Amino acid sequence: MVERRLIVLVVALAVWSAAIVRKLVWLQLTQHQEYARKARQRQEIPRVLPAPRGNIYDRNGEPLAMSLPTQSVTVNPLKLPDLGVAADLLEQVLHMQGSGLYDKLKQACDKGRGYQVVKRQITPEEAENVRALPVDWIEIESASQRHYPKGTLAAHVLGGVDHAEKGNAGIEDALEKTLHGEPGQELLLTDVQRRGIASRQAIEPKPGTPIALTIDERLQFVAERQLAAAVADKGATSGSVVVMNPSNGDILALASYPAYDPNEPPETAEDPRRENHAAGVPFEPGSVFKVITVSAALETTGLRPETPIDCGRGSITLFGRTIHEAEAHGGYGVMPMAQVLIHSSNVGAIRVGMRVGQQNMYEYMRRFGFGQLTGIPLPGESRGKVRKVPQWTATSLASVSMGQEVSVTTVQIAQAVSVIANGGMLVKPRLVLKRGTETVPQEPAVRAIKPETAFTMRQIMEGVVEPGGTGFPEARLAGYSAAGKTGTALIFDFKTKRYTHNYNGSFAGMAPLTNPAIVVVVTLNGTHGDLGYGGRAAAPVFNAVASEALRLTDVPRDLPEDFSKTLAAAKAEPASDLAIAGLGAGPNILQDGDDLEKPEEHAIAVAIPGPTVPNFQGMTMRDVLTAAASRGLTILPDGSGIARVQYPPPGAAARQGERIRVRFAR
Amino acid sequence: MATLPAFLLRWMEATRPEADAEPAETRAQRDPYKLRALPQDDLFFFCKKIDNSRLVREADPRAKSACWSAIGMASLVVAILAGVLVPGAASTNSGYRLESLRAEERRLTDESRALDLQEAELLSPARLDQLAHNQNLVTPKPGQVFHLEGDRPGAAVAMVKKR
Repeated sequence: MVERRLIVLVVALAVWSAAIVRKLVWLQLTQHQEYARKARQRQEIPRVLPAPRGNIYDRNGEPLAMSLPTQSVTVNPLKLPDLGVAADLLEQVLHMQGSGLYDKLKQACDKGRGYQVVKRQITPEEAENVRALPVDWIEIESASQRHYPKGTLAAHVLGGVDHAEKGNAGIEDALEKTLHGEPGQELLLTDVQRRGIASRQAIEPKPGTPIALTIDERLQFVAERQLAAAVADKGATSGSVVVMNPSNGDILALASYPAYDPNEPPETAEDPRRENHAAGVPFEPGSVFKVITVSAALETTGLRPETPIDCGRGSITLFGRTIHEAEAHGGYGVMPMAQVLIHSSNVGAIRVGMRVGQQNMYEYMRRFGFGQLTGIPLPGESRGKVRKVPQWTATSLASVSMGQEVSVTTVQIAQAVSVIANGGMLVKPRLVLKRGTETVPQEPAVRAIKPETAFTMRQIMEGVVEPGGTGFPEARLAGYSAAGKTGTALIFDFKTKRYTHNYNGSFAGMAPLTNPAIVVVVTLNGTHGDLGYGGRAAAPVFNAVASEALRLTDVPRDLPEDFSKTLAAAKAEPASDLAIAGLGAGPNILQDGDDLEKPEEHAIAVAIPGPTVPNFQGMTMRDVLTAAASRGLTILPDGSGIARVQYPPPGAAARQGERIRVRFAR
Repeated sequence: MATLPAFLLRWMEATRPEADAEPAETRAQRDPYKLRALPQDDLFFFCKKIDNSRLVREADPRAKSACWSAIGMASLVVAILAGVLVPGAASTNSGYRLESLRAEERRLTDESRALDLQEAELLSPARLDQLAHNQNLVTPKPGQVFHLEGDRPGAAVAMVKKR
């Protein structure tokens, strides 16, 4: 009896065990995949691995654009149990009372949209409040938000991004592929309390590559500040400033006015503040373009700086069209070609241009980079307009010679002036210095003009900022030699098909003269009146920006600081490139310092007149030192060869302890 | 110490039907001057000394051996289980710590980026320029700075002339 019961028990246990084993086999072998998937689904939660958009830095590593993680609250309106309750709840939690959320949700619901962003960029506290809500129809999405910590600084260079952090203007747009990051995903194994136990990476994040611009934010700020002040002061409508290193093409500053804050960009793409006047808005350059005319003349004709040019007493008639000097001052007679540029004579430039000829003029415009994209990575860069020779009219050569019938951008002028500054090489402007850790290679420079031509042009352009020049005294730098060219072009009104009385006042310059470290081009659009000329309106901006640029780049001074003030005394009345008749050729400080006999009255109370400074010009260094020693003077020599420039000028009384700066050159 | 029988007797008396049937006599009726009894007031505890010194356990080498074997086996099982389970537990524990540290790292990274942004905003040239102006710190114009020759060779003093 007992054995029978035992057998029954054993059999029952065996059946029971077999059932369990069968079930286990079914669960763990047959249905393994399915249940493992379900387990993973419940235990593993996907998590986005952020891959922030690449930062943008200036050349010194100062951040100009950064991305920060942010969170947004979204709902599926179609799943909301009660729109009113949901709207009230969300408005209270997210502090958005009176935002019309109910209407938005209702509208989305009516249109059958299953996705509605309730609020972007919520605070951590708001995120915590939303997570604490016991509802399942609210989602918190992680995203990234672009910030521009310097506000309006370099806005036109940086551009901006849209809601999805995709570049839509400026560098942000042009280098979208480089800057854009691809977020990754990881699966986090969690316990019942949703605490992470282990994670595995499902998709590897690819952060955006940071880039460094050639811009120097300090210089950019100065350029923008001075530009804004000049536009307001001169009643202009817009303007631009470009600062460029002529040796390597680095753009140190690229300012455009009016500007905007990329953190709060203009809503429409047509907003005038979005226009990049430095690179995207071409204009007729006016007299600045005479630099190209004279350069071409030096290379293709037998004209030399001292070659006399007949300026026709103020007017010239070509094919029935009479062209005058900008303002009637009786006009110029015969003057050296160098003076044509220094005084910005229209007739003289036309005469020179006619000697150059159409084909050569066109050729040199192209050599200087006009009519072509400079290659800076800014969307919407304009190539300007240089018509081909077959499209020229009979008077086109005359017009082009003085900067009309051609349109250029400020960046193109900077590129062209750099050719003269660096010894004749066309260097492509560079705006991006580094991508990640790799330096962006510089495009090889192309020779545009001969080195001797560039050197001669520098010497001629120096006259523009010296007494008698159209850029004097505004463009004269304290402590640095400089050269440049003013430009004042009448603005053409496309509605009336006539030139207005408003100007594009511009100044293109370089400093220091012996080995230019910077090129600065300033353009003010819509100036008017006597103070709207390039020499009056744009040259002061050049002065301020160039002085700051030279200081920031640690370029050693090559002239005394108060040099310009001494020269300023020689300036009787303001000259302009439009009204220059009547002003004779002023003394070139490199050639003649005799006009500066009176030393500037200095603030030092103990200044005691010392020995008279002799004329060292033309002497060798040995002779200069001997002559100075015999008078008890101390010499600060610079360079080698023959004495060319000295300060104080000959005849001046040297102050006690004052050292005489003498520049030597071969 | 109250004994188990004492408790049982009390419980049995309390649950006896006859007792429930009897009319309850109140304490005031029993003795108006007697205080209410404290719980377990009627129980008395005492120590009973038991001398087991005469009992001597009989030596049993087999049982002792079996006992030690059991202890050894148990220790072995515990060691094996520990060897198997401890790494897993440590791994899980490390996983918790690792994920916690990763979350902390992400939080700190975000915080660092936020601080970088704040620093960049504070060091904005426009803001610094405004602060400098508020403090009357302006870049001297070229003519405002001049150098005085000192007594010693090479010595120079920079001064700013107020304009």
